[in-house]
Amino acid sequence: MSDQHPHVLLIEDNPGDADLVRLRLVESRSDVDVRCVDRLSAGLSRLSEEQPAVVLLDLNLPDSHGADTFRKVLSKAPGVPVVVLSGQDDEELALKAVHQGVQDYLVKGNFDSKQLARAMRYAVERQALITSLDMSRRQQLQFKDQFLSHVSHELRTPLTCIHQFTTIMLDGISGELSGEQREHLETILRSANQLRSMIGDLLEATRAESGKISIEPRCLVAADVIQQAASMMKASAQEKRIGLEAAVDTRIPMIYADPDRALQALLNLIENAIKFTPFEGSVMVKACLVEADHDFVYISVADTGRGITPEARNLIFERLYQDPNSIDDSRKGLGLGLYITRELIRLHGGRIWVESQLGHGTVFSFTLPLFSMAKLLKPVIAVEGRLRDSISLITIELSPLLASSAGNWDRDRRQCLQLLRSCVLPDKDTVLPPFENSNGGELFLVVASTDEHGAKILEKRIREQLEHSQELKTGCVFQVATTELDLPSQESGESIEQNVQKVAGVITETAMLKLQRTGNSNGHAKNIGNLAGQQTIEGRIL
Amino acid sequence: MSTKPKILIVDDDPDLRRGLNLRLRANHYDTSYATDGFSAIAMAQKERPDLIILDIGLPAGDGFVVLDRLQQSAALSAIPVIVLTARDPQFNRERTLKAGATAFLQKPADNSELLNVIRATLNPAWPGTVGAS
Repeated sequence: MSDQHPHVLLIEDNPGDADLVRLRLVESRSDVDVRCVDRLSAGLSRLSEEQPAVVLLDLNLPDSHGADTFRKVLSKAPGVPVVVLSGQDDEELALKAVHQGVQDYLVKGNFDSKQLARAMRYAVERQALITSLDMSRRQQLQFKDQFLSHVSHELRTPLTCIHQFTTIMLDGISGELSGEQREHLETILRSANQLRSMIGDLLEATRAESGKISIEPRCLVAADVIQQAASMMKASAQEKRIGLEAAVDTRIPMIYADPDRALQALLNLIENAIKFTPFEGSVMVKACLVEADHDFVYISVADTGRGITPEARNLIFERLYQDPNSIDDSRKGLGLGLYITRELIRLHGGRIWVESQLGHGTVFSFTLPLFSMAKLLKPVIAVEGRLRDSISLITIELSPLLASSAGNWDRDRRQCLQLLRSCVLPDKDTVLPPFENSNGGELFLVVASTDEHGAKILEKRIREQLEHSQELKTGCVFQVATTELDLPSQESGESIEQNVQKVAGVITETAMLKLQRTGNSNGHAKNIGNLAGQQTIEGRIL
Repeated sequence: MSTKPKILIVDDDPDLRRGLNLRLRANHYDTSYATDGFSAIAMAQKERPDLIILDIGLPAGDGFVVLDRLQQSAALSAIPVIVLTARDPQFNRERTLKAGATAFLQKPADNSELLNVIRATLNPAWPGTVGAS
């Protein structure tokens, strides 16, 4: 904009009104060009080429009417000030426009050159102010993020020392300990753990605020996530002799969520419940389906603590909220846990709420989306209300050669997913979200709208890509197989939804067979059970 | 002589070095250490360790420089490197793995996790992996 002569974009279809505006501008001796268009579409295309100093906008144009007109202009050029030219009987709409981001309005035939010049000048000033406020807000957020990232790094170094030497003593590496010494060291370690999780929460909360948390949803068994969370929290429940139980409806189908994030949300809630429940109370985790809502699983964490006041219920998910009436002798924490939890659930498209009665415990509930294969498949395998003539399924089983939890496997499986996505045709084929098998490997499914011959060509392409990738070749083993699916007869009068559902069923079945074959009889649960077991045996984990 | 695996610890913080040293020796590893990027490469050449535990924030060549040098050297590129840093995984995990590290752990790392990763890295055919079954 700076290297151009400032100009006004006038979007007005009535030639008389347009001339009047030009006349007023000449009278006011403002040194601006006026570029006039008589259609919204022409105005919008002008806006994508050049940025005027101000837009003067008639709301009723041949190709757009009313609120739609200003909304389209605002979304096309969010940083450009807009002054609405309103009809005599349209002031209400013009006011609405001002509330929604337009800078000002003038009533046609009712303004002189001074008023026009002033409206334009103020519109420019206000818009500049808004833009600079918005920019500085964003800069502040970014600074906060960098600052916290830096601070957390500096805090972690001494914390690592505390942790390392405390565990060295506790593990007897530097000699025998008396019972009392051991107790003191365990206190130090507990406090260090608290510090570490606070540092983590600080970073998470800032990221949630600046929209930097991303989730990677996968197909998960809800019971596995709940079981894992419960077994990770078992030790702290036992410390307070709190009964921690989980009840999961076995009919719940797979959910579609980020495994780490879903676990984190659940752990936050269980940890809170344990914290606010007195000795020998109980904490109950439940997962169920709700008749009226087929898209979500409902998970709740109920405790027998003293409950939350109605006022606190409204504030409890806000940042830095701490219960002022807390008489609990444990430390309060930062008040970020529930805020982070809410953001994590929101990112999944779910919601979270709390019910409580003073003296009768608290129930936190949240929803996570159920995985719907049919929903993902429909746009790919159905055209014009019919299934495609042939549909094939390519399965890719990828397993890590090295059982390293922290290293390349994560990178490799992501790379494999990306690679598969690059092999398929976007509107004819789809890569389904991967399934985890019990060996820690991954099962990828590619659904292709083609017969066996076409699928074989795609399979070959996938094979070549996998073999071409140095990382995947050295770090993993893979198996690729193709089958053409038997499609349901489409003459039997069933709806396309029912037919898609049937195909989804066949694919799910194939996936389950593969998962069982590569794993052992217990499938998922066994694997996660083992992991959780490891984590509870090692009692001193930061 | 000794058949214990040799681990080179690279960290500029003396206390962290000492702590890690104690922990690794207690778990039957031989250790040596370096305090900056430059001497890390020199020590790697001299000692030919089986594994390197590498910090990122280092004087005289940070962890990324060290990873680069190791990758470029025919003699050293095969040595596995576990990055152990206080830095934010969000900005550093992918980057270190891309630069050639075998694993990324954030400080303070849980001891059992660190030891598991060390074992798995030194012995890729560790029971339980797919390759072994």
